[in-house]
Amino acid sequence: MIIVTCPVCNASGDETDFHYGGQAHVRRPATTDAANITDEEQRDYLFIRHNPKGLHFERWRCDRGCGKWFHAARDTVSLDFKAYYGITELPPAEIIAQAKGPWADYFKERMKAKK
Amino acid sequence: MADLHFQSALAHRSMPDNTSISMREISERGMIDLRGLTTDKKFVAAAKAALGVELPKVPRTSTTFGDVQVLWLSTDQWLVLTGRARVTALLADLRKALGTIHSLAVDVSDMRAIIRLEGDGVRETLMKGSTLDLISDDYAPGTVRRMRFAEIAALLHVVEQNMIDIYVFRSYADYAWEFLVKSARRGSEVKLFPNLIKD
Amino acid sequence: MASKPYRLAQGGSLIDRSRKVTFSFDGKDVSGFAGDTLASAVLASGQKIFGRSFKYHRPRGLVGLGSEEMNALIGVGQGNKHEPNLRATQIEIFDGLSAESQNRWPSLKYDIGAINSKFSRFLPGGFYYKTFMWPRSFWKHVYEPFIRKAAGLGKAPEGRDTDTYEHMHIHADVIVVGAGIAGLAAAEAAALAGAKVLLCDENPVLGGIADLTAGMIDGECVEDYAKALAARLSAMPNVHVLSRTTVVGHFHQNYLMAFERVGDHDPLILASGAPKHRLWKIRAHHVIVATGALERPIAFANNDRPNIMLASAVRGMIGRYGVTPGNTGIVFTNNDDAYLTAFALKKAGINVRVVDSRSRSDGALVKRAIADGIDVSLGSVISAVEGTLEVKAVKIAAYRKGQGRVITERRVECDFIAMSGGWNPALHLWCHNGGKIQFDDGLQSFRPQSHTDAITAIGAANGTMSVADTLVEAQVAGEAAAKSVLKKAKTIKATKFKIEEPIRGALESMWFAPATGLYNEGNKHFIDFQNDVTAADLELAQREGYESIEHTKRYTTFGMATDQGKTSNVNGLGVLSEATGKTIPEIGTTTFRPPYTPYSFGSIAGAHTGALFLPIRQTPIFNWHKSHGATFEPVGQWRRAYTYSQVGEDKHASITREILCVRNKVGMLDASTLGKIEIKGPDAAEFLDRMYTNTFSTLKVGRCRYGLMMNELGFLTDDGVTVRLADDHFLMHTTSGGADRIAAWLEEWLQTEWTHYKVFVTPVTEQWAQFAVAGPKARDVLAKLDPDFDLSSEALPHMSFSQGHIGGYPIRIYRISFSGELSYEVATPANFGQGLWNAIMEAGEEFDLTAYGTEALHVLRAEKGYIVIGDETDGTTTPIDVGMDGMVSKKKPDFIGKRSLEQSFLKGPNRKQLVGLLTEEPNDVLPDGAYAVRVLKDKPPMEMIGQVTSTYMSPTLGRSIAMALIENGRDRMGEVLSFPLEGGKVMKATITGTVFYDKDGARING
Repeated sequence: MIIVTCPVCNASGDETDFHYGGQAHVRRPATTDAANITDEEQRDYLFIRHNPKGLHFERWRCDRGCGKWFHAARDTVSLDFKAYYGITELPPAEIIAQAKGPWADYFKERMKAKK
Repeated sequence: MADLHFQSALAHRSMPDNTSISMREISERGMIDLRGLTTDKKFVAAAKAALGVELPKVPRTSTTFGDVQVLWLSTDQWLVLTGRARVTALLADLRKALGTIHSLAVDVSDMRAIIRLEGDGVRETLMKGSTLDLISDDYAPGTVRRMRFAEIAALLHVVEQNMIDIYVFRSYADYAWEFLVKSARRGSEVKLFPNLIKD
Repeated sequence: MASKPYRLAQGGSLIDRSRKVTFSFDGKDVSGFAGDTLASAVLASGQKIFGRSFKYHRPRGLVGLGSEEMNALIGVGQGNKHEPNLRATQIEIFDGLSAESQNRWPSLKYDIGAINSKFSRFLPGGFYYKTFMWPRSFWKHVYEPFIRKAAGLGKAPEGRDTDTYEHMHIHADVIVVGAGIAGLAAAEAAALAGAKVLLCDENPVLGGIADLTAGMIDGECVEDYAKALAARLSAMPNVHVLSRTTVVGHFHQNYLMAFERVGDHDPLILASGAPKHRLWKIRAHHVIVATGALERPIAFANNDRPNIMLASAVRGMIGRYGVTPGNTGIVFTNNDDAYLTAFALKKAGINVRVVDSRSRSDGALVKRAIADGIDVSLGSVISAVEGTLEVKAVKIAAYRKGQGRVITERRVECDFIAMSGGWNPALHLWCHNGGKIQFDDGLQSFRPQSHTDAITAIGAANGTMSVADTLVEAQVAGEAAAKSVLKKAKTIKATKFKIEEPIRGALESMWFAPATGLYNEGNKHFIDFQNDVTAADLELAQREGYESIEHTKRYTTFGMATDQGKTSNVNGLGVLSEATGKTIPEIGTTTFRPPYTPYSFGSIAGAHTGALFLPIRQTPIFNWHKSHGATFEPVGQWRRAYTYSQVGEDKHASITREILCVRNKVGMLDASTLGKIEIKGPDAAEFLDRMYTNTFSTLKVGRCRYGLMMNELGFLTDDGVTVRLADDHFLMHTTSGGADRIAAWLEEWLQTEWTHYKVFVTPVTEQWAQFAVAGPKARDVLAKLDPDFDLSSEALPHMSFSQGHIGGYPIRIYRISFSGELSYEVATPANFGQGLWNAIMEAGEEFDLTAYGTEALHVLRAEKGYIVIGDETDGTTTPIDVGMDGMVSKKKPDFIGKRSLEQSFLKGPNRKQLVGLLTEEPNDVLPDGAYAVRVLKDKPPMEMIGQVTSTYMSPTLGRSIAMALIENGRDRMGEVLSFPLEGGKVMKATITGTVFYDKDGARING
């Protein structure tokens, strides 16, 4: 039973007070260009997820509190939360710097796109 | 309206005689669920104008003015409490003041049942069904918190040190009542940190 | 030998000799004193056998003093109050207690199962996997019944438990587990530094084994020092002390579970209303493990005979209860500590001699023993034990470490043995959440190494055995824990203790004492007493190739029972080490799993039993339903009225009556459970277009539209009618079971995907009581209640909405129908629900208005071919599958599930499609879920091509009807399908359309 803290209302509680919402930063292709989505893109959107040992990025909802969704960076080995950040935001820079593998690639791309 | 049959969620329950704290249903309270954006100054001002009191913006707090009390539910949601008789008028005032401002105000007076718990040990009684540390300083009078109680959603409002209102969805009222009666049963009292003197 | 009483004339720090207590053990009255455990009282009565072992049914006596006891497992209480497998050493006696021994028949002394012992060569390690392999046909009728009869310890209680149990939560800055001198000192330090401290101990009295420990602290004996410390702690405002409370598990982020035995020891406490057990759920910032150490048995031949106890347990029996196991004892040891037991025995006037496997020891206690005239045989072991039901004599052999055979031996008479193979730090809690451990050569045992949690081990649990070191370690740990948690912890002045304690000689490991006679023939060296695992079993497992210790554990069941390796773990590793030539660290250790000790099912259930087993949701009309003969149907957590049976009516009759009443006259259904969500904002219409497969932006204000919802996979997930209350304001209805899920679903998309939409979503399901008034006379009934709005079909046509008052009650009214009849859904604030329901009932009397339940509702909708999400859909069903392609917008560029629905395999051939079915025999009702087969054969397997989703006897049509999902069903109209059923029966049914009644839908517009 891990403890989660909501960055929106700052409530802390057992994980049963929260709802786990799967991997963060999954882009929904239909929102931007509904007419041109390949079967592969749709498959990736629906089913393909990272499963890293170590730093991972997740969605959570403050289910029994303010009801808001948020993002969290969490270590899948120690289960410790490394950072909480807004549901429309990217992780803090120092956390991005620690990302490895597909996550590192993903953030590199996002940062490039930002520029 | 006088001859309408009004039946609150726990009307069929009587005060238990074997509990170490007192328990009763508060059925005379009206409630309005208010949604709006605190970043919208017009919304904040209109709500204050209609309610007579500022919306609480700090999580888990409440504000009071006369017979109107506003409980924080979320960053864009509040529960406005007032006497049942005043709800219709207050809601009309609120909607009028809000006009076309992006908001949603709904009468939810019958959506929840309220159980008032009073006496020594109310906090420990609730802690039989809640993971929250209700004996800590985080739960001073005025505090509001949505929580998981036993196996249901509930809203906790600390009225006084030893007086707490529990709001549960109406359909769960009997379950919550029975759980509380069982938890507060005489002889099963637990005093946490029994030597601690709380003022 | 029983000439002398086992209860000594003096001594017994825990008993009150002025209060005699009488209880029953195996039907016999036994007396003891207040403060006795069942173990001490029975032992004092002269009885040595407490139970029979699990596999061989060997007679067994006491071994331990507390929760480590593995032999004396006792059933307490009768019938529904029976609780099996309690440790005799932890059962506090009271007048009227009724207890019985286990795993024996007919009695402890004469046990038929003991014949297993004779066949023990057929029950070696891994016998489960070998013995019962062949012949195959024997399994069902011979082996399985045998195993079932033999399996399990104790018996289950009979009937419903009438005691109460509860859970309790507590938060602390620091939790200290164990209230021996280490735990007490650490708790005091943490509390003085300002931390909120929770101190838990499984014994009734704080102090741990301070009373069995040698030494003086500041001029006081350790026991008195501990007593004073415990008293100080119990009075501190920031300390909560829980005794009789075992911390059974340590989990992530310092979440701990503790089991409190509140009322087991005193029926008066139970009678006062207290729960029998309380399960504590604890959150602490820092955990201090002060769980002490557990004494190891020694593996010598027949080391399981009754009256062979741990040395500390013998010491405890004398000191705490004034009870001796016998008149002539032998202390068998490989370390200095057990000499304290020799002193205690001598002081009590019991004959004692010491057998010490070490050839020498420089320890002060050894020297003192020799000086006191105690017969000490160094370099010796016990090589044989005589006696089966009790110890009669032993053989003492000369021993040099590493020597495997007996060269010389002599016989010595005795009636009990106190053994000590050293001490194992109690590492269980440390290890539950992944703490690392290391082997300590001095202890010949494992001790804590590192942990990723905020947790510290101190004292004997940390392998620190001296009083002086323990006290310093405890103070430092307590203060540090407080400082790690609190911003403003006080610094406490380090106490300088003046401690005198004997200098200890080194322990020398001795994992296997050589035995007289043939190896493992009638002289077993038990390692895991509880599971009857011997040294030979472990060696056999090694020889058979079970090299990994985890494999050996599963193969032999070593360390697997409730003991969880408490007494057996290190001894087993030692045997394997000697057998393989590997060191113990090389062998590694098995995993310690929660719970540390067993805890009751009652405590796990807590208050959640009976009416509180599961939250039940009641509508505002629930009590009316109950008093009008309703049976209920679970829909999620709701209980909905299923049908209302009148006197002399069975359910079938009442359902038929209800259906015909709706079709011919008028009925009323409590539909309050329907999900209701208010949706408002300038982007509300566009948002709904994203959520539903069909379009809502074109809906006119005051009108209703039925909507379908898919998930992103393109599968149906919910449906319902949504009303446009104003241009920017909608009221969505969801299925009863989907209300919370859909509200959360809408919020999720608003918060995470279309964050720019200005839309608020507020669920209001429970604000409203809602009733369907359906049937040709529906309008007539409502018209009698003075509606202040126009009910006519022109003003309020099918799929429209109005509001006003009916019978004075404020209402919202929706002209929608799930029965195919003229139908209104009327909603009023929930607290007016019963009032309005009564008013409509009264107004409907002259029209024969009847209440109808969910089963009638389901038949009515099935007659009309309306789907139910969850009946006609199973989570892999698309709108196309159920024939609702028309409701999937072709114009909208995007909505949830659209892109997935376009995937070829969801559109392709061979999908199962919704069709109607009419059985050849009109009175045959297909069973729900029955399968249609492609080709009917004499017996399975047969290829299935679909299944029945809804099936009823339709009173309206006077025949059965069904719906089914059938492969390419819509192309097979008129085809006759076969449905093979249980018992070889086959039903045949013809595929039809799904609308069975009123195909042109005239009635709905009535």
